[in-house]
Amino acid sequence: MAFIEVKGLKYKYPHTSKLVLDGIDFEADKGQFIGIIGENQAGKSTLCQAFAGLVPTMFRGAYGGKVMIDGVEASKVPIAVLCQKVGLVFQNPFNQLSGAKDTVFEEIAFGLQNLGIPREEIGKRVEKALKLLDIIKYKDRNPFDLSGGQIQRVAIASILAMEPEVLVLDEPTSQLDPQGSEDVFQVVEKLAKTGITIIMVEQKMEKLAAYCDKILLLHRGRQVAYDVPERIFSRGDLRELGVEPPVYTQVSKSLSVHRKEGEELIYPVTLKQIQKQKDQFPLTLSGRVRQPNNEKQEKDIFSIKDLGFYYIPGAPVIENLTLTLDSRPTAVIGQNGAGKTTLVKLLKGLLKPKTGTVLLEEEDISGRTVAQLAKRVGYVFQNPDDQIFKNQVLEEVMVGPLNIGMSRKEGEQRAREALEMVGLLHAANENPYDLDLSERKMVAIASVVAMDPKVLILDEPTIAQDARGREVLGQLIRTMTEKGKFVLAILHDMDFVARYFERVIVMAGGKVISDGPGEEVFYEKDTLTKARLEPPHITRLCELLGYEGTFLTTEDIRE
Amino acid sequence: MKSISLYVDKDSYLTRLHPFAKMVYILAAISVPFIGGALWMYGLFLVISLGFLISGGILKKVFPLIAFSFTILITIFLIHGLFNKENETLLFRIGALAFYREGLLYASRIGLNILNMLLAFAAFVLTTKPADLVDDLEQMGFSPRFGYMITSVFQIIPQMMGTMNTILDAQRSRGMETEGSLITRAKAFIPLISPVVSSSLINTRERAIALEVRGFGSKTKKTFLREHRLSGGDKGFMFLMALLIAASVVWRIVYGIH
Repeated sequence: MAFIEVKGLKYKYPHTSKLVLDGIDFEADKGQFIGIIGENQAGKSTLCQAFAGLVPTMFRGAYGGKVMIDGVEASKVPIAVLCQKVGLVFQNPFNQLSGAKDTVFEEIAFGLQNLGIPREEIGKRVEKALKLLDIIKYKDRNPFDLSGGQIQRVAIASILAMEPEVLVLDEPTSQLDPQGSEDVFQVVEKLAKTGITIIMVEQKMEKLAAYCDKILLLHRGRQVAYDVPERIFSRGDLRELGVEPPVYTQVSKSLSVHRKEGEELIYPVTLKQIQKQKDQFPLTLSGRVRQPNNEKQEKDIFSIKDLGFYYIPGAPVIENLTLTLDSRPTAVIGQNGAGKTTLVKLLKGLLKPKTGTVLLEEEDISGRTVAQLAKRVGYVFQNPDDQIFKNQVLEEVMVGPLNIGMSRKEGEQRAREALEMVGLLHAANENPYDLDLSERKMVAIASVVAMDPKVLILDEPTIAQDARGREVLGQLIRTMTEKGKFVLAILHDMDFVARYFERVIVMAGGKVISDGPGEEVFYEKDTLTKARLEPPHITRLCELLGYEGTFLTTEDIRE
Repeated sequence: MKSISLYVDKDSYLTRLHPFAKMVYILAAISVPFIGGALWMYGLFLVISLGFLISGGILKKVFPLIAFSFTILITIFLIHGLFNKENETLLFRIGALAFYREGLLYASRIGLNILNMLLAFAAFVLTTKPADLVDDLEQMGFSPRFGYMITSVFQIIPQMMGTMNTILDAQRSRGMETEGSLITRAKAFIPLISPVVSSSLINTRERAIALEVRGFGSKTKKTFLREHRLSGGDKGFMFLMALLIAASVVWRIVYGIH
């Protein structure tokens, strides 16, 4: 019998009629690394909860079929017992914390204490988990004071320390910078080698392709396929299923690099596999043709001079920053804790500079209240739940327009336009809290777009978005730019940055260490290493294949 | 994160003294003068408490507490000095106000009582981490659920205040005026209530799940990170306090009520 067996699993939440899981059937062996993919509402998170026994023990609802883990039926044992076998890392790390411990060390020890592990053993395990996730320096800090990426590490460590036999992770790297998420994948792979079985939901297909033994593809609660990554990503129907294959596969498809397995065409899915089939790739490609620099003199939107800011005196978050921003769409990238969010909050007036000035269209903003600036500068928060006030989507989106003095009629029209742009017009009459996280994020974006500001600031808009959501976002950025608006976004998804942004600003330690078009910035290796960033996948791929020229997106691959 | 506990993070013999020993001190400070009945006993414990606070280096932190209690003390002195029903002997006059000896004596007894309790509690609260106290209580046999309730309050209230600030920021960002006059700020407060409550409700639900996943419902006996046994010093201190209480009983028997 296999270590994990899922047989005919069906589930629906109480008071709903739709099955969120409908006939899931697969097996996994001990020490395997299984990926789960699918568009939003495919049932990925619910399946994770079924492994930990939360579905149905905590959530009730109608449950059919079986989840067997090492001979134990997940729905039949108490969660407190099951949690010693199956560890679950939540999508939102803030909610994983116990909320009763005031140091990171104690937070990680909490689960072990509950299980009655001897004290010396707790000390050893916690130290080990702290080292593994590179958070030993935060050991004595209050977990609630850490940044999103750091809390995510604490959350993973707190489950790892319980040494479960199966580790279930629900988008564990969504808040992490590129290097940070690579670290997590490496840690998890190491664990898989020690015999821990890994089940991971992720949107980062390149990573899943590189690390997973098998991938489970879901669509609207149904199991579409369960197979090795090459076969999953070589399918022709991925677009319809709302899944984008790894960039490496997309490139191979466009250059028709493949091997045959019977009748099927199998495309490479990782850098390693591409290297094996290197001889099938063309010898040279010219890459991006750089538009001649017809720099039409752009008007400055923001001019920032000698800006400095700290939360605690003596620990500057931003130091001596001088920068002008014009209306080209601009991405701010950098490691967790580099000062990106602090910078945009200063631009929005939510924080007041300790030194220096911020001019918005030549006017000093220090004399303005945030509300007065709202008409001109829109800011979408990282967590949509912090900015949802009403219980109907349309009303929610109209809050801003009405606040800045639009008439009800005009406000409603703007709100409908904004909802149309994010593809949620059909949900105008629903309660925002009934929508899932990715949709709530879109509502939050629409509610700012509806105010028709000159500047649109987005703080990590791609978190929790699937391929379709990212496309909607990209389109929105283009439309706003065409309308003469300035879009400024904080991002961790380099492929997205390369595709939609003309200007890229790299921050590290509160300073701007590089600034320019993507074509330049993504080829500055030293800068990227210093900021713990990676170039877009295509860029790495073409470097491996020895192509000279600039490659940032799949469109740059042309024969 | 701002802490709502009054604990002053400072290593001193007072912070190292076992929380139970400090609790026994509070018991002694309250019961000895109560049983013994003599005014000088209040004075004795006031001096001891002040001694603790000074040697622990936390006297400064007590001033706001004392200042606050003085407003109450003054009212008590005024009311009893002027209007106590047993007032007979006139002591002094300030203009039209006549102060009597009986009322003032009674008021000073209450005043000393309040000050005494305040300082004894301060010596305990300012030097004891709430989490440590709860930990010790749990080791003594209190249920971990009770313990969680207490400690989580110290974490969740500041966290809720944080959420409130974020939501306030979000509202300002959407053009709601929150800065300025008291009326503007009060108006801004009302629409805050619903998002803060709903986000806390969602958090609470998720937190309950998080606790389950971390084995909180487990039937096995919990491990404690520190075993905080009573040291020889702690025991000696507690014995001394018990002795003082016993002495006050003897005093009462010998001298009777005053």
